[in-house]
Amino acid sequence: MKWQVAVDERIFEIDSEQLAAVKEVEPGVYSVLLEGASYEIRVIEKAQALSSEASGRQFAVEVRDPRDTSRGSRTSLGSGRQNVAAPMPGKVIRVLVEVGDSVAVGQGLVVVEAMKMQNEMKASRPGRVAEVRARAGETVGAGETLVVLE
Amino acid sequence: MFSDADRGALHVRLADEAEHIGPAPSAESYLRVDRILEAAKKRGAEAIHPGYGFLSENAGFAEECAQAGIVFIGPSPESIRRLGSKTAARALAKQAGAPVVPGSEEAAVNIERARELAREIGYPVLLKAAAGGGGKGMRRVDAENELESAIRDASSEAERAFQNGEVYLEKLIEKPRHIEIQIAGDRSGNLVHLGERECSLQRRHQKIIEECPSPLVAKHPAMRAAMGEAALKIARAAGYDNLGTVEFLADNRGNFYFLEVNTRLQVEHPVTELVTGHDLVQLQLRIAAGEALPFTQQDIAWRGWAMECRVCAEDPENQFFPSAGKIEQLREPGGPGVRLDSGIYPGWTVPLEYDSLLAKLVTSAPDRDAAIERLERSLAEYAIEGVETNIAFFREILNDPEFRAGNLSTEFVADFLARRKPRPEPPPELDRAIALATLAHVQNLRQRVAGAEKAEASRWLSEGRSQLLR
Repeated sequence: MKWQVAVDERIFEIDSEQLAAVKEVEPGVYSVLLEGASYEIRVIEKAQALSSEASGRQFAVEVRDPRDTSRGSRTSLGSGRQNVAAPMPGKVIRVLVEVGDSVAVGQGLVVVEAMKMQNEMKASRPGRVAEVRARAGETVGAGETLVVLE
Repeated sequence: MFSDADRGALHVRLADEAEHIGPAPSAESYLRVDRILEAAKKRGAEAIHPGYGFLSENAGFAEECAQAGIVFIGPSPESIRRLGSKTAARALAKQAGAPVVPGSEEAAVNIERARELAREIGYPVLLKAAAGGGGKGMRRVDAENELESAIRDASSEAERAFQNGEVYLEKLIEKPRHIEIQIAGDRSGNLVHLGERECSLQRRHQKIIEECPSPLVAKHPAMRAAMGEAALKIARAAGYDNLGTVEFLADNRGNFYFLEVNTRLQVEHPVTELVTGHDLVQLQLRIAAGEALPFTQQDIAWRGWAMECRVCAEDPENQFFPSAGKIEQLREPGGPGVRLDSGIYPGWTVPLEYDSLLAKLVTSAPDRDAAIERLERSLAEYAIEGVETNIAFFREILNDPEFRAGNLSTEFVADFLARRKPRPEPPPELDRAIALATLAHVQNLRQRVAGAEKAEASRWLSEGRSQLLR
């Protein structure tokens, strides 16, 4: 069975059989053997996406299921409704979007202040704002949903 | 001692005795003099080391310790007061004969007088709000025809920010370097300096990389003795004892100007320890116990090079925003010339309430290049999972040609971010390996999810589990 993996938007076609070259050496850490050379890769599960780290650099990665081409969509990671949550307790300074707005990748949604620093929560994928739960001036807890995208 | 937020902190776990002093907000714990003194008395402590945050430069705290019969490990309350206020310290430094940034002591109210002052100081000049801080009411002025409008703008900005529109003039030092002198004195009036540290690499006005010696001082060797002497003049004038740091701004020609005094141990003290071979914290304890300095100025020698990175829970790709969370995995570097002063362990949650500093990674070697190579290698070994850190960012900086050449300034990080190029694509084999590892991980996840669903479905299994819990 063939899979598509995107590494910083570069697409690789991978056959399940090729996974024989991969050995998990520690939880989330993989040693990959290619033509006799070993590469160590760490896969990190972030709040809304996967990231792989190699040689001290992080790469945005995503696995796409080739069977699910009808909607041109991805696997369960990253599709459907998405909750944008506060990474840590803080105070909502500004809400930058309204319900119904279309947002692009990287667009600011809500500005949250924590540890005396302001942080703009950004959309990690394109979509439409389904819900806005954050209100300016209110405090939020870690993991609390600020905005729902669909 | 610890607050609620530090209940599981490493310093609490490793201490022989640990005393709880209150809830997480520092105003209700680490800044509560009464609770700290109460804890000290309850445990029979003879002395308090104030560290390098919170009350470490608080003259009132030092005084209350003395009244309670507990030794404050630091200078006297009088010295802290004399040097604590920037303006008082500047006046004292000037009086003692240390160079200060040329500037007007008076506010620039009258434009004619301001023109005169600016001409005396020499352009470019910097306008600063008398009541200010944080860059508000600051303006750079390169020529006389810009002066009048700049004063007007700066003054109205200062008025809005501080309800005080007074601005004064100061010589603008282009691409300044931050170089500081470590001083030590005992209670009999013996005072020495232990050389300089260069701390020019800063973000958000906080140091991130420090080294000893300074690359600038290495180029202008007479600077060390000159800065050391200037620092000691100030210390003598203030009747200083115990450890302290006199900070200077320097330009690339080797001119230096007094900035301020930190009347405490500095975060970056390990680089001085590694190059001079003296344990500075032990020295603080000995001085506080009334001992004389165990060495004279002639005994102090500097050997090799040391460099420190402040490893913080923060995201350099998002304006260095702090990142709190649980440390999931940890691999620490080691080997010759590597020192790691760390406060973290796997499973510990970085609290949101305090500073984002996780550890100080320090290397030493015979010369600067070798110290950098060791630091780079140690950073490559260092793995902290669960929070964002600045480890990868440090590796980029250490490989920057300007950094390697020692061309530092307090604007270095901003300049570096501006000239930073997008990183090249990785070699094709590595790219493919990343794709393979990612797919393997996602397959593992799927299996785990499927396994969990199956397990949930098995009533035998859940029955078995509940038996175990009985």
